Amino acid sequence: MIKVEQISKSFKDTKVLRDISFEIKKGDFVAVMGPSGSGKSTLLYSMSGMDSISEGRIMFEGINISEMKEDELSGFRLTKMGFVFQNAQMLKNLSIFDNITLPGLVAKKESAKDIRKRASKLMKRMEIAEMKERDIREVSGGQLQRASICRAMINNPKVLFLDEPTGALNSAATDQVLAILEDLNRDGMTIMTVTHDQRVAAKARKVLYIIDGEIAACKEFSVGADRVRELDDWLKGF
Amino acid sequence: MKLLLKLVLKDFKRNRVITTALAMFLILSALLMAGGIKVAVTMASSLKGFNERAMPPEYLQMHKGTYDEEAYWNFVEHHDYIKDALIVKMLNINNANIIYKGETLERCLMDNGFIIQNNGFDLLLNMDNEIAVVQKGEIGVPVYYGEVLGIQVGDVITLHKDDFSKKLTVSTIIRDASMNAALTSSKRFLISQVDLDEIRMHMGEWEYSFEFLLEEGASTAILGKDYMDAAMPSNGVAITGKLLTMLNGLSYGLTGFIIIAISMLLIMIAILCLSYIIRATMAEEHYTIGEMKAIGFPGKAIEKLYQMKYRMLVMIAGVIGYLVAMLFGNFFTSSVILYCGYGTREWMEWVFPLIGVILLILIVMFKCCRIIRKNLKRTVVELMRGEEKIKKEGHYTLPLKGLTHRNLVIAFGELKCKWKEYGVIFFVFVFSSFLILLPMNMKNTIENPSFITYMGVGDCDIRIDIQYSEKLEEQKNVAISYLDNDSEIEKYAVYQNGHIQFQNADGDWEYIRVENGDASVFPLVYLEGSPPDDSKEMALSYLNASQLRKEVGDLVTVVYKEEELLFTVCGIYQDITYGGKTAKAAIDFDEDDIEGYNIYLDVRDGVTIEKKTEALRRILTDSKITPISEFISQTLGGISDNMSMVEGVAITISLLLTILITIMFLQLLTAREHSAIAIKKAIGFSNKDIRIQFGIRILIIQSVAIIVGTALAKFLGEIIFGWMLSSMGASKITMLIEPISAYLICPAAQLIVVFITVTVGTKVVRNYHIRDQIIE
Repeated sequence: MIKVEQISKSFKDTKVLRDISFEIKKGDFVAVMGPSGSGKSTLLYSMSGMDSISEGRIMFEGINISEMKEDELSGFRLTKMGFVFQNAQMLKNLSIFDNITLPGLVAKKESAKDIRKRASKLMKRMEIAEMKERDIREVSGGQLQRASICRAMINNPKVLFLDEPTGALNSAATDQVLAILEDLNRDGMTIMTVTHDQRVAAKARKVLYIIDGEIAACKEFSVGADRVRELDDWLKGF
Repeated sequence: MKLLLKLVLKDFKRNRVITTALAMFLILSALLMAGGIKVAVTMASSLKGFNERAMPPEYLQMHKGTYDEEAYWNFVEHHDYIKDALIVKMLNINNANIIYKGETLERCLMDNGFIIQNNGFDLLLNMDNEIAVVQKGEIGVPVYYGEVLGIQVGDVITLHKDDFSKKLTVSTIIRDASMNAALTSSKRFLISQVDLDEIRMHMGEWEYSFEFLLEEGASTAILGKDYMDAAMPSNGVAITGKLLTMLNGLSYGLTGFIIIAISMLLIMIAILCLSYIIRATMAEEHYTIGEMKAIGFPGKAIEKLYQMKYRMLVMIAGVIGYLVAMLFGNFFTSSVILYCGYGTREWMEWVFPLIGVILLILIVMFKCCRIIRKNLKRTVVELMRGEEKIKKEGHYTLPLKGLTHRNLVIAFGELKCKWKEYGVIFFVFVFSSFLILLPMNMKNTIENPSFITYMGVGDCDIRIDIQYSEKLEEQKNVAISYLDNDSEIEKYAVYQNGHIQFQNADGDWEYIRVENGDASVFPLVYLEGSPPDDSKEMALSYLNASQLRKEVGDLVTVVYKEEELLFTVCGIYQDITYGGKTAKAAIDFDEDDIEGYNIYLDVRDGVTIEKKTEALRRILTDSKITPISEFISQTLGGISDNMSMVEGVAITISLLLTILITIMFLQLLTAREHSAIAIKKAIGFSNKDIRIQFGIRILIIQSVAIIVGTALAKFLGEIIFGWMLSSMGASKITMLIEPISAYLICPAAQLIVVFITVTVGTKVVRNYHIRDQIIE
């Protein structure tokens, strides 16, 4: 689905990504780990077209998105990708419900009525249905992050990108979000997440470990494996 | 110190656009502060210096015909409060007999008198403000003609009548404290006694001006009363020194006054904007201040750092603004300098503006200090969390039907929630629109022929003046017989003018000009009541009525031919001619008392007013024929020209202000909304979408502001204009607006300027990278 081919990125004289190549298949759940400043977030934003790359190319369903112009990319992101950030980023002047429906209404893939229906369904699934008309400052971090996932899902994206989705959440909220991600992936959603949290990474089928802008190692879990333990052992090697 | 300077310079580099715009704003404020004060000081100093040299009379009484000179000097001798007196003999010469560059002065509405230099006071000065001296064959020309006709030293003025012709070389341009102003309807030429005697043999009519200087504390009203009681020569207008000063002030000081008013308003706006900008830029600095506090920077050092930044900016701006004002400040005072010369206290012209600029610098520094200290009081956590940013702003709801016009819906919605943030820019846009339209509307009103209704006459095309002469009746009859037979004339009306005595509110008697004629031919809109329709009614001009403290229905006692007559005030109208003090009544003046006739006429459709004027001038050679539009512009003197200059300056300043505030506002707005921009980008809005949303918000605010500004320019403008002209005799002005310019071109120009500024200013949206914003 997404092919990353020998991409590199430099900020002035510093290379933050070095010759990275890998592939994400449809329905994959990929986690990217690594120490702070290793380039994992840069990789995520580059793959989603939110950040430019200096070399290489990123193929999304056979389309080279690294050559797309900014305005083309924004349309592409709107319909094909969903995003969830560490601090649930939402527009302050819209209610939770309107924040969720906004990308759907902008994309116009479905009627407004259908979009609202979908939003309600998603909210119900994420167990935040009663928060519809609330202000974004009137809900907890976990609830807001779940609302972010609803928003990311509103246009039925091909892939969901998450940047430290549980970084700002407490343990209970983290569990809720993880359950939802697992659930979505089970339904066939392709997910790529950047995380420090081993519990999040343990939900993935594939984990990339990045050091100094390079993929230092890649771990694929087999079905039925004790991922938490395997991951723990694997990470001890870095 | 070195470290602080380094930090400040680094900060300048980082916020180049904001810093440059802020600097421009400060320069503009300093420039206006220094410029406004310079204009005020120059005007005051120039007028004072001129009056000290020329010594205009404090009271003057015009008179035509014979008088008893011995009785006059006796009167002077027996009144202790009279400091000095003189009789100015003025030889009035018909404009048709004065030729300059092959053309007569008929086009000029002024009455032209020829005099010799006075003794003692009311002196005619040359352009160096020295007493003007002319030799035989030379002439001193009023500065008014120097400006209007471009007459220069060395030119030749020819006086011509029948077989007599006399050439006079212009040896000097003269300033005349009594009759300098364009608003004064007479002008005086200076010639030698020999030439005056020679010219008198062939043309002209004597008119006398009995002039007085009073001892300190003496009142002109008492002099006027004593003068009348003593039956001194008085069949003309009496003018006080105060009225002369007012006419002078209005003639060449109007531009200055408007510039001062604009400057003061702009400074207020500038200070408002500055405190907003400082507050907004400081809000962006919260995190940095928090960091500095966190690592242990002492509060004083942080305060010093930020103060240094603004102190440097305001000081550099102050110096530049002051220097520019000193170099180009004379642009606005050129009129007063031309008519009155440089004043006696030139040092004030640079010291006072300097004080003003220092004051401005102190105000800005004080404002900065307060804002910075307020910020420093916050805790590190408050600062680093950016408490101000999480203030509740309210919601807007997305429409149920979906987003047909997504950018419009979002822009409107965000505006609904954040409208308070737009207060300053809205105010600036309102002001800008008001400032552009006010002088433009004033100019249009003045230049419109219907302005004649503020001159005590109904709307008409051409005015014929038949002035006092021995052949007055004959001239009038010739004119009437011609007009009766001219098929191109649609209608005309003849008005007889004379003077009668009124008793003012203090019980003193004074002469007022009264017009007698058919008021129904050219109906005039009355402020109150209606025109006189029988011999017992009298209409008063606004200024006359207010000074006599009369209202419609009151009785007014007048004296004509030593007989007291009682009239009922039937109406009050506006009139800015003759010092604003006139009346209309059916008084049948004796032939000897008629001072002149005015004939007003309308030409038929298809007849050109200018061509008809030329034709009438060829036929009625002894009368003065003027198209009404020309009459208005000449009566109002340079006011209209000055208005054009003010209009140009106002447009430039307003647009500059609009551009500056829009750039700064956008910079601050985008910086404040960086997180919302990032979110929008992340969920699929393009840069173009986001820029359009900012543009819509600003343009909506501007459109509303333009509507408010336009309405203010019309309604508040009428009040301001009425207030300006009320001292001249018109209090209730209806602003005549040129709709295409005022309602189409001006708003369009402002919107285009803001559109372009927004297009350029929102380019910064591209630099707000999602990654940086989100990660931050």
